[in-house]
Amino acid sequence: MSESNSNGRFSISRRSFLKSFGTTAAVAATAQVQAVTSELEKVNAEKVLGPEAVPIVLRVNGKSLKLQVEPRVTLLEALREQVHLTGAKEVCDRQACGACTVLLDNKPVYSCGMLALEAQGHEITTVEGLARNGKMSRVQEAFVDEDALMCGYCTPGFIMSVSALLKTNPHPTAADVNHACSGNYCRCGTYPRIMKAAMKAAGVATTNTTEVISYAKLA
Amino acid sequence: MPSWPEKRTYIGSHATRVDAPAKVTGAAKYASDMQPDGCLIGMILRSKWAKAKITKINLDKARKVPGIKVAVLRDGTAERTVRYYGEELAAVAGDSKQACMDALSLIEVEATELPFVVNVEEAREESAPKVWDDAPNVSKPRVKEQGQVDKAFGDCTAVVEGFFTTPVQIHQPLETHGNTISWKDDGVTCWASTQGISSVREGLAGNLQLPQSKVRVISEFMGGGFGSKLGFGVEGGLAAVLSREAKAPVRLMLTRFDESLAVGNRPSTYQKIKLGASADGKLLAYELENYGTAGIGAGGATEGGSGGVEIPAPYIYHVPNTRARQYSVAVDAGSSRAFRAPSHPPASFGMESIMDELAVKLNMDPVELRLKNDPSEVRQREFQLGAERFGWKQKYKKPGSSTGPIKTGVGCAGAQWGGGGRGTKAEAVVNPDGSIEVRCGTQDLGTGTKTVIAVIAADLLGLKPEQITVRIGDTQYPPSGGSGGSTTAASVSPAIYDVCTKALEEVQKQSGIADARGANWAAACKKLGVNPVVVQGEWQKGLSSSGVGGVQFAEVEVDTDTGFVKVKKITCVQDGGLIVSKLTAESQANGGIIMGMGYALYEERVMDKQTGVMLNPNFETYKLPGLADMPEFDVVFLEMPERGVIGIGEPVTIPTAAAIANAVANAIGVRVSSLPITPQKVLAALGKDKLSA
Amino acid sequence: MKPFQYATATSAASARELIGDNGAYLAGGNDLLGLMKEQILNPAILVNVKSLPGFGAIQPGWKVWTLGGGVTIADLEDNAELAKLFPGVQQAAAEVGSRQIRNLATLGGNLSQHSRCWYYRQRDVLCLKKGGDTCYARHGENKYHSLFTGNTCISPLVSNLAVALAALSATAIIQRGTQQLPVSIPELYAKAWDNPTAHNSLQPGDLISQVDIPVQGRRSAYLQVSEKAAFDWALVSCAAAGRIEAGKISHASVVLGAVSPIPYESAAVHRFLEGKTLDEETAGKAADLILEGAHAQAHNGYKVAIVRALVRRTLMQLTA
Repeated sequence: MSESNSNGRFSISRRSFLKSFGTTAAVAATAQVQAVTSELEKVNAEKVLGPEAVPIVLRVNGKSLKLQVEPRVTLLEALREQVHLTGAKEVCDRQACGACTVLLDNKPVYSCGMLALEAQGHEITTVEGLARNGKMSRVQEAFVDEDALMCGYCTPGFIMSVSALLKTNPHPTAADVNHACSGNYCRCGTYPRIMKAAMKAAGVATTNTTEVISYAKLA
Repeated sequence: MPSWPEKRTYIGSHATRVDAPAKVTGAAKYASDMQPDGCLIGMILRSKWAKAKITKINLDKARKVPGIKVAVLRDGTAERTVRYYGEELAAVAGDSKQACMDALSLIEVEATELPFVVNVEEAREESAPKVWDDAPNVSKPRVKEQGQVDKAFGDCTAVVEGFFTTPVQIHQPLETHGNTISWKDDGVTCWASTQGISSVREGLAGNLQLPQSKVRVISEFMGGGFGSKLGFGVEGGLAAVLSREAKAPVRLMLTRFDESLAVGNRPSTYQKIKLGASADGKLLAYELENYGTAGIGAGGATEGGSGGVEIPAPYIYHVPNTRARQYSVAVDAGSSRAFRAPSHPPASFGMESIMDELAVKLNMDPVELRLKNDPSEVRQREFQLGAERFGWKQKYKKPGSSTGPIKTGVGCAGAQWGGGGRGTKAEAVVNPDGSIEVRCGTQDLGTGTKTVIAVIAADLLGLKPEQITVRIGDTQYPPSGGSGGSTTAASVSPAIYDVCTKALEEVQKQSGIADARGANWAAACKKLGVNPVVVQGEWQKGLSSSGVGGVQFAEVEVDTDTGFVKVKKITCVQDGGLIVSKLTAESQANGGIIMGMGYALYEERVMDKQTGVMLNPNFETYKLPGLADMPEFDVVFLEMPERGVIGIGEPVTIPTAAAIANAVANAIGVRVSSLPITPQKVLAALGKDKLSA
Repeated sequence: MKPFQYATATSAASARELIGDNGAYLAGGNDLLGLMKEQILNPAILVNVKSLPGFGAIQPGWKVWTLGGGVTIADLEDNAELAKLFPGVQQAAAEVGSRQIRNLATLGGNLSQHSRCWYYRQRDVLCLKKGGDTCYARHGENKYHSLFTGNTCISPLVSNLAVALAALSATAIIQRGTQQLPVSIPELYAKAWDNPTAHNSLQPGDLISQVDIPVQGRRSAYLQVSEKAAFDWALVSCAAAGRIEAGKISHASVVLGAVSPIPYESAAVHRFLEGKTLDEETAGKAADLILEGAHAQAHNGYKVAIVRALVRRTLMQLTA
C-alpha cells in the first residue's frame, strides 16, 4: 500500500518499512481523533503517533502552519526543510553550539534538541520573525552597528539569545550577557563585538579602543 | 604607477559591513540553505574502522529504502584500504534526512580489520603498523643548517633546552563542508561552502566530465573555512555523482561528526629546542628537532606550506648558527590541511617559550631579549609600542612571584607572515541612473571582502558604500584566486582600484564632464544615454605588497589550587600596510586572537589508541572558547599606506598561544610546555597531580 | 535517530503502559535525544511525560519543598525563594549546560542522565557500560574519570543537581509500577557504584516523579571547576551544607561530583566536621579526609588537587 511521505511523494510501503525497525510498540491506541488543535495534548493524549509522518500544526512567527513530520524530525529540520526558514542553522545537531536557537514562548531553546511535534502549542519565533514591517529589531540593528558578526553563521542564534535576555532583563550586566550566551559559539571570534551589541541594544554605550596608528608618525 | 588616494573617507573607516543586514535577518543564504526544486539530501557512509581492507559494500538494501533515489560507492568501487576512522566509503541521496540515515544503516560492509596506529610516539617505533604499505611512517628528515652550531653552543654563556608539543587542531568552521549541486539542461550550478569557487569549478567539471563553461559555482555567503575549504573535496565529488545519477539537485553537507574527522586539521608538533646566547643576550646558537603528524598525509612536508609538519625554524629571531631537523610521522587519522597561518602558531609557541626560558636564565627582561635579537625594525617598534600600551614594565614580575593561590603573569610573542596579492580581475557596470555594480569572482568568508570592495569603490568615485552594489562569489564574474594565505584583500583591492578608475575615466569621457566624482556623478551618468558603461579591470602592481610582522602581549591569572587559567588581557599590535576597512580588520584581529586562545587552552583532537577512533568529534569535548572566556582586547594597527594593501587575517592568530603560554609560566614559575594548557597540565607542572599532597 | 512512535501520557499509569518493553520517557529530551542521535539508545516509543499532573511544579512548604520531576532547570535557577533557602541547589542549577538547555531540561532528566564518558558516547565503541567486555577508559583517555569507584567501569556521575541535593538530604520519589518509592539520593545512585552497566539505581519503567528537599535550616553552597569558564562539564563539583551557629558547623554534609559514579560522600568527613569551628584549617582537614581511599587513574590525578580546593572553598562559602 503506498502512502505519501513527508515531502508529498509516494513511496511504497513506507509504513511497513518503518515497522521493520521494530518500532511498533505493543500498545493499543485509544483516541482516533484526527483534528489537530491547540488543545493538542488533551485531544491526542494517549494516542500513539508514528513512526510514519503525522500532521502537526506549528505556530511560527505568528502564523499557523500545517506540516507532516515523522516523530523523529527535529524542530530545526522542520523549520529549515519544510517551512523554509533557514535562519536557524544546523551546526552540531547536538545541543552544543547555539546556532539553531529559536524562541519557544520567548524562551531560547535549541531547536535541534526538540521534536517538531513537541513544539506544537507553543509560539515559535525565529530570526526571520524579529523585524517588524521591514524594520529590524533593536538587537538586530545593534549587531549591524557594532559589527557583531563575520561569516554570520552563528549570528541568528546569538540574536535570539540576546533578544530573549533583553526581554526579561532589559539592563543586563556583562556577566548576565555571558551567562545568557554561554550556549552560543562563534568560531570567527566576534565575541567582543557581540558583547558591545548586547550592551548597545540595552542602551549602554561602549567605547571602541582599536586604533590605527601611522607607523611613520611613531616616535 | 597607481597609488591609493591620500585623502580617504571610507577606506580605513569604521563603515559598516555591507552584508550585515542580510546576516542579522536570516536573509543570507549559504550553500547549506539552498533548496532548489526537487532537491535531495545527500549523506556519506564512513568507515568505523581506523584501518581495514574493505572487500564488499552492498548497497541493495539501502537503495530500497523509501525515499532513497541513489546510492553510490566512493570512486565507484568498494575495494579499498581505509586508513582512518571516518574515511568515506559510500553515499546516498534521498528526499529526507531520515531516509538517508535509514539507508546508511542498511549498507552492508565487509571488511578485514588491520592493525592501526593513531599515536605519534607509537607510530615512530620500528614495530608500529605501517600506515602506508610502501612507505615508513617516519618521513626522511629534512635538515637545514647554517653556521657552526655545535661550536657556537660551546661559546654560549647561557644555554636552555626544552621539549614543546602542540596538538592537532581542527578548523571547525560553523558551516560544515558541503555543496548543493543542481543540474539543468544548460549546465550545473553548485552552491559551495568554499574559499575557492574557481577550484571548486575545476574539480566539479573534471568530476562530472563537463566543460567548465557549463559549470557555475556560487558562494555568496559561507560560514567559515580557515583554510580547510580551498578544494572540491571528497564530499563535493560524492555530491556531484549523486546529483548526476539521481538527475536531481543534491544538497550534501557534512555533519559535525564528519567535519571533525575528515576535512583537515593543523598538524601536531613535538619540538625539542636548544637555544644559546652570550651573556648580553645575543642569540648565538639554535637547534631544533621537530616531528609531528599530518595524519595519513605524511611526507612532502613543506615549510609554511599547505599543511605539512615542518615549521619555520628558528622563528623570527636572528640566530647566526642553526640546525633544524624535521620529519613527519604518519598515523591512521584524518589528513591535515592548511589551517590559518599554517605552521606558524606552533613555531611561535616553541620559539617564544624557549626565548622566555632564556630570558629567565639570563635574568633579562623578556621584551629586552626580543628587541636585542629581532631583525625586523617594524616588529621592534611593535614590541615597544605594545609593551607601553600593555603596561609591561608595571606588570612584569619575576616568574611565580605573585602571592596567594591566584597568580598573575605576563608574556609576549611575535609573528611574521606574507600575505600579498596577485592577479585578480574585476568588472564594473555603471548604469545611466548612476547605480554601479562591481563584480569579482572572489569570496567573503566573513573576512569582509564585500565591504573592502564597497569602500574602495566609494572613495574612488566619491560615493557612499551603500551606493555600490557588490557582487562576488560567482564564477560568472571575473576570476580571483582562492581566499587563503591572507591574500584576498591584497589581490582584490588593486583590481577594484583599477576597475573603478577605468569606470570613472569612461564615464568622464562619455559624459564630457571632467570630474564625474561625488556630486557630479548622477549628472555625468545621466549623459550616458541608454546603455550602461561596462569596464574590465585587473590587479595592478604598486597597490599591495607582502610581508607583515605583529606582536601580542598576554596577561593571565592562574588559580594554582585548581589549575584554571583565565586570560585577562591581550594587547595586539599588527602592521598591515594600508588598512582598507578598520571595522573588518579589527574583527579579524579579535577572531585570530580568540582562535589562538582556543589553541592555547582548550583545543585538541583526542584519538583513542585502543580503538583508533576520535573521542571528541563534537563541540562538547572539542572545546571552543566561549563568550565568558574572553579577556580584555586592545588592538592597534600600525598603518603604512605606502606599502599598499597587505592581508592580516593570519598573522593575528600566530603569537597568541605563545604569549599566553609565556604568561602562564611567568605566573606560576614553572612552564607548561604542552598545548593546550589545561588545568590538568597546570597542576602537573606544579607537582599537584599526585594523590599525596 | 531511528524511527519511533510517540505518545503523550496523562497519568503515571498510562505512561508505564505506553512505554512497554522498549520505550523511553521524554521530558526535556536533552540526554535522550543525544543518545538516540548516536543510536546508543533506540527506544521504539517515546512517551511524553510533561503532561503528568503536578510534574512541572515547584511546591514550597514549611517542612519540605517538593519539586516535580518535570520541573525545568531554568525554573530552579530562576526561583528566588529557592535561591534563598537552598542556594546550593540554585547554584548547581545555574551551571547546568546553557540557558537553552535549562529551558527544556528537567530535574528528573538531570538526575537520571547517562554517563558522559566519551567511550560510552562514542557510537562505534562497544564499551563495558554498553554491554561490551572492556572499559576502555581504564587504560585509555581517562582524565575526566573517577577517583572513587567500586566498578570496573570508571565513568563518573555528572549531574550537578545530584550533588547539591545529596548535600541537602533530599529524597527522590520513584514511581515504580504502582508504587511510590522514596529513596535517598545515595540510594538513587547506589547501584552505579559497582554495576558496570548502571548509571543509577533506576529500573526500566521507573520515573522520578518528584524530589523533596527537607527544610532544615542548613546553609548550602555548590561550586565546580571546569576547563572553560562556562557551558562545560565539571572536572570536579562540590556541594556542602550545614548549620552554622557562632562559626561552628553542625549537620554537615560535603558531596563531590564527577569523581565517582555516585555523589561521593564520606561519613568520616561529616563526623569530623560536627561541632567544629569552620575555618580554613578545618575545611582543609575535611578535604584530606574525603580524599582517603581515592585512587587516581593514569591521567586524572590532578582532580585530587581540585577536590582539595573545592571542598575548602565550598565549606568556607557556608560562612560567608
